Amino acid sequence: MAVDSIVKLLCAQSLPVDGNIVDGAWVLNFTDDCDLVVERGQRATLVVVDMAGAHDMNVDVMAGAELRLLHLVAEHSASQIAVAVAEDAKCLITEIVTHGADTRVVASLVERGACFELGGAFVLTDEDKASVTVDVNHLAAGCISRTSYRGVASGKSHGSFSGLVYVSPGAQQTDSVQSSRNVTIGDARIETLPQLEIYADDVKCSHGATVGQMDSDALLYMRQRGLDLATAKRLQIEGFVGDVILHSVIEGVEEQLSELVAAKLNRL
Amino acid sequence: MLKVENLHANVGDKEILKGINLEVKAGEVHAIMGPNGSGKSTLASVLAGNEKFTVTEGKVEFEGENLLELPIEERALKGLFLGFQYPVEIPGVTMANFMKIAVNEQRKYRGLEPLTAAEYLKLMREKSAIVELDAKLTSRAVNEGFSGGEKKKNEIFQMAMLEPKLAILDETDSGLDIDALRIVATGVTRLKTAENATVVITHYQRLLDYIVPDYVHVLYKGRIIYTGDKTLALKLEKEGYDWLINDYEEE
Amino acid sequence: MGKDTKDILQELETSDYKYGFVTDIETDTIGRGLSEDVIRLISEKKGEPEWMLERRLKAYRHWLMMKHPDWAHLDIPEIDIQDVIYYAAPKQTKKLNSMDEVDPELKRTFDKLGIPLEEQMALAGVAVDAVMDSVSVKTTFRDTLAEKGIIFCSISEAIKEHPELIKKYLGSVVPYTDNFYAALNAAVFSDGSFCYIPKGVRCPMELSTYFRINAEGTGQFERTLIVADEGSYVSYLEGCTAPRRDENQLHAAVVEIVVERDADVKYSTVQNWYPGDKDGKGGIYNFVTKRGICREGAHLSWTQVETGSAITWKYPSCILQGDNSSGEFYSVAMTNNYQQADTGTKMIHIGKNTRSRIVSKGISAGMSQNAYRGLVRVAKTADNARNYSQCDSLLIGDRCGAHTFPVIDSHNPSAVLEHEATTSKISEEQLFYCNQRGIKTEDAVGLIVNGYAREVLAKLPMEFAVEAQKLLALSLEGSVG
Repeated sequence: MAVDSIVKLLCAQSLPVDGNIVDGAWVLNFTDDCDLVVERGQRATLVVVDMAGAHDMNVDVMAGAELRLLHLVAEHSASQIAVAVAEDAKCLITEIVTHGADTRVVASLVERGACFELGGAFVLTDEDKASVTVDVNHLAAGCISRTSYRGVASGKSHGSFSGLVYVSPGAQQTDSVQSSRNVTIGDARIETLPQLEIYADDVKCSHGATVGQMDSDALLYMRQRGLDLATAKRLQIEGFVGDVILHSVIEGVEEQLSELVAAKLNRL
Repeated sequence: MLKVENLHANVGDKEILKGINLEVKAGEVHAIMGPNGSGKSTLASVLAGNEKFTVTEGKVEFEGENLLELPIEERALKGLFLGFQYPVEIPGVTMANFMKIAVNEQRKYRGLEPLTAAEYLKLMREKSAIVELDAKLTSRAVNEGFSGGEKKKNEIFQMAMLEPKLAILDETDSGLDIDALRIVATGVTRLKTAENATVVITHYQRLLDYIVPDYVHVLYKGRIIYTGDKTLALKLEKEGYDWLINDYEEE
Repeated sequence: MGKDTKDILQELETSDYKYGFVTDIETDTIGRGLSEDVIRLISEKKGEPEWMLERRLKAYRHWLMMKHPDWAHLDIPEIDIQDVIYYAAPKQTKKLNSMDEVDPELKRTFDKLGIPLEEQMALAGVAVDAVMDSVSVKTTFRDTLAEKGIIFCSISEAIKEHPELIKKYLGSVVPYTDNFYAALNAAVFSDGSFCYIPKGVRCPMELSTYFRINAEGTGQFERTLIVADEGSYVSYLEGCTAPRRDENQLHAAVVEIVVERDADVKYSTVQNWYPGDKDGKGGIYNFVTKRGICREGAHLSWTQVETGSAITWKYPSCILQGDNSSGEFYSVAMTNNYQQADTGTKMIHIGKNTRSRIVSKGISAGMSQNAYRGLVRVAKTADNARNYSQCDSLLIGDRCGAHTFPVIDSHNPSAVLEHEATTSKISEEQLFYCNQRGIKTEDAVGLIVNGYAREVLAKLPMEFAVEAQKLLALSLEGSVG
């Protein structure tokens, strides 16, 4: 299975439910609530695999530390990952949702210079129902956040993205970009709520959201070169989602992530 | 007209101007040259009153008045014009409207009646011809989507509209191709009279082929280290600044 | 436009809320509070037919079961519905036939408001229905319009004279069950405007309603119904002012627009209700439901400039029911001091090839809160629906808030929907540039704000655009420096 090979590739050690993370690669089977701390100045890589059920995780990323988190959701889970990012620390997340689920990431940028980036994708088929939420709270001045989510819903599935960028009073020089791009196929439904709530004036905040269909010119072109329609569509979706994988926060596992998504795309 | 004495200015805690002395009289053209980071643009900004900079020492007299006490717009109304190195974009505000307000503020200050729409249009047509500015640009938003050359032409067009006593042109030649440079420089020359004065800040001699300076100053580390006539610019073009800087550092 | 900006700049220095005067005319009011008896009384005072009373009572009974909504990004003090006067009319004994018969004090009011109720009207080509407190005072130009078969009158007259149209259309776009304030309005509305453009007729002049709340303690619950029959066109303007009072006054209007096949309606609002004073005391609560329905090939365009009111809460919306219909929403909402606004639109795509476009410009200053809230919904049936939304916020000062809450909900795979939003402030560089050209900071801010809003202002009819520009600059007063 793709997840296992990722763990093997990274030589990731399994992580106890609570505790401090130091340099290195770790894997966590997300079954229970947990509290984690990435120590000052450490560089940690963490693969979080959602198991069925509901669970919460709190992560403190201490000053100057960097956490790269790969969040894989392939079971019916309801999870929340709350990260607090301290001075000049970074939290970078790649999230791949290939199953009906309810996931929520809440990032709080609590000290100057904190940085949060999330690239995510959901791919839904059949009667999947997924709701993903990314809330970013800019609570200190001079922080950066980037959220980019891609959604694909096919069959009778229903995908919903909700994103909030909150800029508290005093969080000047906030720099935030949020984008939600979505494709629906068949009888599926997509909802997107990209929201901004801003209480400071010296900020650069923007968001964009699109819901669209596949590029018909590109489909035609591919078919003209001999691909059947189904393959052409699949290729296009792969490209659309592949962008997230290409920019995965953990390098060297692109192939495994593609495999994970491909297995889902076969059901399109 | 302009008398700068021992001018010191900071941005934050950093001292950029470290004692500038400069006198500009009516009818004169001064060129200020110098390597990057020597304080040329800062000098222009401080004279125009940009609040990013704090004056820590020194005096500036303009037409016999203490310039440093005046807010930015008063300086402008008194006839000090700054041609910006990077003209600012103001979305949605048309050039025509923007200039009309500026021109009429200027006229009000000089005790003149505001221009009627017809007079204003005529003036605009006249003045835009000086820099061959496409008339269409005046109906667009200020500097928005203008090319580099158009922005610079637009600065000179505004100078023509406002008829300042002292124009300080901050790197008006940067980013211009040779044709645009000629148009801009010829425009400046045509606006030259015995009553006004021009300070040209530039890196290159080539602009000074068109706008012939009476004095050329070299600014280095926040001070004017050398002043000569127009031949100095030619020499600098050929030999660079090193010979001057070496002399200065030795002292 | 240069001269207008100049005017704005001058007024900026001198003017406060210039519509804050009270007209001293005798008013016929009923007591505070709401009950079935009050509704019967309103209906009776207006000489309404029985069926209308029945409709009101039905709405009232439904309203009794409803709760005050609380989902908006607004801080609304509890409103005591029983403390409102539901009917106030300038006292008048008989119907007026010419301008000369209008109470001179009332005429002066409208003059002060700058409404050209008299001969200027012909020049301006505007037909005005002025609603003062609860009743429609005078509808000008009715005869000219009648020649074309256009009906433009107060809604109370329409109830009596055109019951078939009212029965067919009133409540057809905004039913009384729609929301708390729509139900309240359906029960107690006292007047408003009615407009019917017959098939294929292009209305030769802009139609205009001017609303004003004059009497103390009153709520204004006007009801506007516009029906554009097949292939017709009308441009409709709505303006609002109110005197300065320490108490808050409630304005809960309903506007319904029916745009039949291939018809085209343009609805413009310049809302300048009294916003309260610098400390947030007084001001109008502007809770309005506005919605239009577009049949096949029809087009509806909403343009609003919202500068007034203590609280603005409204979402002029389009139901794009017919194939190939289209809707637009252009909005400038400006808040200063303690004003709050939660405004936006809903575009409901039902028909095939439906198009919608949203351009919203929010400006927040002082301690104000300004939110855009929008919904773009594409139903399963709406093949090839297209929407483009752009929502920009401009913040002036660091104590205000600007918020964007769009919802995009697509049930059809062929839909293409785009939303973009940005937040910005007036940059130091822009101010320096203007200052350097001799323009004062306060004037520069007015100029930049008007530039920022230009895309929307350009959608307003000329006379309104000028007024809106002035209002924007006026509302900014005291926000910089």
